[in-house]
Amino acid sequence: MSVLLKVDNVTMRFGGLVALNDVTFAIEKGSVLAVIGPNGAGKSTLFNVVTGVYKPSSGRVIFDGVDITGKPPYEVAQRGIGRTFQSSRLFSDLSVLDNVIIGMHTRTKTGVLDALFRPGKSGREMAACVEKAEALLQFGSGDLFEQRYRPAGTLAQADRRRLEIARALASQPKLILLDEPSVGMDDAETDALVADIKRLRSEHPELSVILIEHDMRVVEAFPEHVMCIDYGSRIAEGSFETVRADSRVQEAYLGKAAAHA
Amino acid sequence: MGGPASPAAPGSAVAAAVVAILSQLCGAAFLYAILKADGGWEVTGLLTLLGLGFFLLERYPAMGDFVTASLARVPLVTMATAAIVVLGFPFLVGSNTYILHLLIVAQLYAVLALALNFQLGSANIPNFATGASYGIGAYVSALLALNFGMSFWLTLPIAALAATLFGFIIGVPSMRTRDTYLALVTIAFGVVVQQLLNNFEWTGGPNGLVGIPAPSLFGHSFASPLEVFGWKLPSQANFYYLSAALVVVAIVTAQRLHRSRIGLAWNALRADEIAAKAQGINVAWYKVLAFAVDAFLAAFAGTIYAFYISYISPDNFTFLVSVTIMTMVIVGGMDNIFGVIVGAFLLTILPEKLRAFSDYRLLFFGVVVIGFLMIRPQGLFPQRLRQYGAHR
Ligand SMILES: Nc1ncnc2c1ncn2[C@@H]1O[C@H](COP(=O)(O)OP(=O)(O)OP(=O)(O)O)[C@@H](O)[C@H]1O
Ligand SMILES: [Mg+2]
Repeated sequence: MSVLLKVDNVTMRFGGLVALNDVTFAIEKGSVLAVIGPNGAGKSTLFNVVTGVYKPSSGRVIFDGVDITGKPPYEVAQRGIGRTFQSSRLFSDLSVLDNVIIGMHTRTKTGVLDALFRPGKSGREMAACVEKAEALLQFGSGDLFEQRYRPAGTLAQADRRRLEIARALASQPKLILLDEPSVGMDDAETDALVADIKRLRSEHPELSVILIEHDMRVVEAFPEHVMCIDYGSRIAEGSFETVRADSRVQEAYLGKAAAHA
Repeated sequence: MGGPASPAAPGSAVAAAVVAILSQLCGAAFLYAILKADGGWEVTGLLTLLGLGFFLLERYPAMGDFVTASLARVPLVTMATAAIVVLGFPFLVGSNTYILHLLIVAQLYAVLALALNFQLGSANIPNFATGASYGIGAYVSALLALNFGMSFWLTLPIAALAATLFGFIIGVPSMRTRDTYLALVTIAFGVVVQQLLNNFEWTGGPNGLVGIPAPSLFGHSFASPLEVFGWKLPSQANFYYLSAALVVVAIVTAQRLHRSRIGLAWNALRADEIAAKAQGINVAWYKVLAFAVDAFLAAFAGTIYAFYISYISPDNFTFLVSVTIMTMVIVGGMDNIFGVIVGAFLLTILPEKLRAFSDYRLLFFGVVVIGFLMIRPQGLFPQRLRQYGAHR
């Protein structure tokens, strides 16, 4: 299998604070990487560096064979990286459906002149988007489809997380970055989320996923490739079993849990 | 759970058509009444009625949904009624040139407000330079007509392109700033333009430009009365229909952009810039685009204004004009095409009608605007969620 994303010696400093310290890893096409680590370890910063929100102080990000280090976020999205945000960033005054349609921005083409002088073409493009968006809303757990004409800001917490994922998938990305998707979900909803991700992978075997998670049940469900970050450094990487057994990880992250066991 | 998904449309198409026709006739009758109103009591009475109407609309939103759904259900009837009302209004007004003048100015402001709505309403960009784009349109076309004898119809697109260029020029530095700073940048641009018009010799300085010739179409001069089927309308009627045509162009432009992915992209960056970028939206470009579209439409309005009044000076395009346009968008309803037009009409006609209050005119005007905003905090007609397919 070929490498899809390669993060090379990335360091990210905010003033004196080193949020990422010489982090290196790679992920293959069609695989899932779970990123764990205590609060403030630098996990979300890693997503922000990969998606171009921050330009790393040093190091490189290679996606699909192209150096995307420091490229603006919209260009990174166009190249095929979709993402969700830890604290859902939905377009809250727009409908659920519009949120997903906006997610298709990179897949649509209508420019100003087309919109003004070829309304038929623009309308057909929009109708196709509506159809695809409705299919996406029906795909996952929950009843987003039934709520498609509600303002996104009025959704319940679990639905907000699901909608962010649907919006990220709307661009048909090669890689999707999920920042703590299970936050705010109860046990049943979390199980449904895991099932959704598994079904998504079986339907799109080429899609790669990076998942930041605090909930170990979710991490356990994707045990092949796990990476632990602490104080901005990658301290362990491997299967869930190996990472969990790693003494530095236990110290940093599973410390209390391990002491209980 | 569907929320506003399936608005309560009336059962039969006939009922919808009746609602569509009656609601538009009511609107037209109200407009006629307020234009004709004379003296403080009449104006106060009509404003109270309007306030009551909006109060009820705020209390019972289903009422508004019902009318909107009816209008949408029978689009042909709706458009035909609107066309008859707009085309027939001058006949109703007859030889009252003052009312025709007010209507022309109101329509030009409606175009300006629709232009600004692309920015303020759709994308939440506070642009205080719409008045400047309006002025650039007016000056460019007037200069071309006076110096090169160009016809109105030829200056129209040239002035629009010149103003669009100006839009790009303000747009580019504005990409790097946001909110308050962005507002300051646009204010500065607006003031600079006005000062330049004041100081250049070739723009006529503070005296402006005089003697802009009236346009003509198929040999009919817009300065002469308009004769239709034996009816004789004053020459202002020419400009009334011209500006009405421009309003239609502005509405179609606004609707088509709003329904396309461009309108969605503007709404996305209004809601959350970081999330918009993560969807692949080139936020900077869409902001500049909003500036360009705004300037383009504003220049059309400027050109018609110059040829209508036949005399322009920098005083017509001050910072205050931009503030007025902005107020129209906010009072009317951000990102709602109909609301923005209502806002423009109300805020154009109101100050004129309040002359009855002489010294207290401005005070009263302020009170009325604040009153409406208290009754309808989101604007008279707030933005609506897009409906698709069977839901439209
Ligand atoms: N824009 C920024 N400016 C300054 N410091 C920042 C910025 N973004 C993140 N940080 C800091 O970088 C460190 C890592 O933050 P990050 O959000 O990546 O942690 P995290 O691993 O996602 O934590 P959590 O599990 O709580 O989400 C924190 O100390 C945070 O305060
Ligand atoms: Mg985080």
